[in-house]
Amino acid sequence: MIDLIILLTLLLLGYGFGHYAEKKHYKDIIQREKALRNLPSVSSKVLPPITQMDNELVSGNVVISVDYFKRFLAGLRNIFGGRVTSYETLLDRARREAILRMKEQAHAMGAKLIFNVKMETSSIYKGRRNSVGSVEILAYGTALIPKQH
Amino acid sequence: MKYSNPLPAEGINTTPTHPLKEFLLLSGGLIGVIAIFIFVVGFFAEKFAHYIPFETEVSISQSVASTMSGQQGEVQVWLQQLADELASAQNLPEDMSITIHYVNSDTVNAMASLGGHVVMFRGLLEKLGSENAIAMVLAHEVAHVHHRHPIQTLGRGAVISLALAAIGVSSSDAGQILGTAGLLTELTFSRHQEQQSDFTALRSLYHHYGHVGGATDLFEMFLKEEGDAIPRMTFFSTHPLSENRIVRIKAYAVEQSWPLSGQLVAVPENIRERIRADAERAVPEKSKEAAETIDAGA
Repeated sequence: MIDLIILLTLLLLGYGFGHYAEKKHYKDIIQREKALRNLPSVSSKVLPPITQMDNELVSGNVVISVDYFKRFLAGLRNIFGGRVTSYETLLDRARREAILRMKEQAHAMGAKLIFNVKMETSSIYKGRRNSVGSVEILAYGTALIPKQH
Repeated sequence: MKYSNPLPAEGINTTPTHPLKEFLLLSGGLIGVIAIFIFVVGFFAEKFAHYIPFETEVSISQSVASTMSGQQGEVQVWLQQLADELASAQNLPEDMSITIHYVNSDTVNAMASLGGHVVMFRGLLEKLGSENAIAMVLAHEVAHVHHRHPIQTLGRGAVISLALAAIGVSSSDAGQILGTAGLLTELTFSRHQEQQSDFTALRSLYHHYGHVGGATDLFEMFLKEEGDAIPRMTFFSTHPLSENRIVRIKAYAVEQSWPLSGQLVAVPENIRERIRADAERAVPEKSKEAAETIDAGA
């Protein structure tokens, strides 16, 4: 009985805080994406035909933790199969946040374009039982900065 | 070449399902599956009892076994030996073991419980004239264990918790349920179960002695004494007695062409003496009460 109460409390806390954090994060992401629209980041490897540009490596990195509720939901999904929707938003947020951080760095350098953008995803706490997992996403690319005259 | 970044469209990489809705759906499904499992197990409780490993029964009955205080001694060793011989005569599966508890009490009863624990009271042993008659009682209780009657009788709840314990879910709870129920020592088997055990006991008696003489001694003795003022016999309430039962046992033996009478084996003299000594040592409950009354009066 006590186990059940602890479980329900953790689920409730996980859902409450997780949901609140996610909502807040999405609002923030959408707002910043709008602000940085004028700085395109593309995955093309071919250098655009603009010369007289400096190249700089820029990167953005983020670690987001899954909450108890999401993990529980994913655990239930493991039984029945199907899309693990509770992790979808987690990865979506992490990817967009990583790109935004990269863009913010490039923007501070005065870059006009980031090309050859790549992403790396890794799971922290991988394989450790009874630990709430976290996901790390790294976005990196080459920023093209107009030469200062 | 012109590069531009459109604003990412929402809801492409994520599914717009509300997490709570998914949670309710999935947990509801899981609970439903468990409920169906429990329902099915409960429905076929009697049949499933045979598939519950005997080890599970033993591990759960451990807490209860400690409350059945048996007396280590000559009588218990003798009874244990006899029970083991009878168990092998009725081909008791190897993983099942019988543990005899001899209790020095006036209670005229014997009973079988979870985990192969069989309790024999001195009161009953005193009434039985030959080893064959004692063997019949022992074989009957062993047969209860053999046919998994204790588990079946504890009902669906017990079968379900034992089944769950067998697959590794909350085995501690299962023990608690059984322990608190307090049913273990008051198991009452159904008429069908009693009959099944009678027949199995007869078979082992035949295999052990070559005849089934003395099998009905106990019941006949009870029938004779029924009119007399005998102390309350618990054996009556837990082992429904009727003339039919004797008739059925005899008919079964005739059907199997087992000799109804033969050379009866006497109870060893040292065992008989020990039982007598135990009887003298045990203070009869009535006189104890009387003594207390006198004390209070004085």
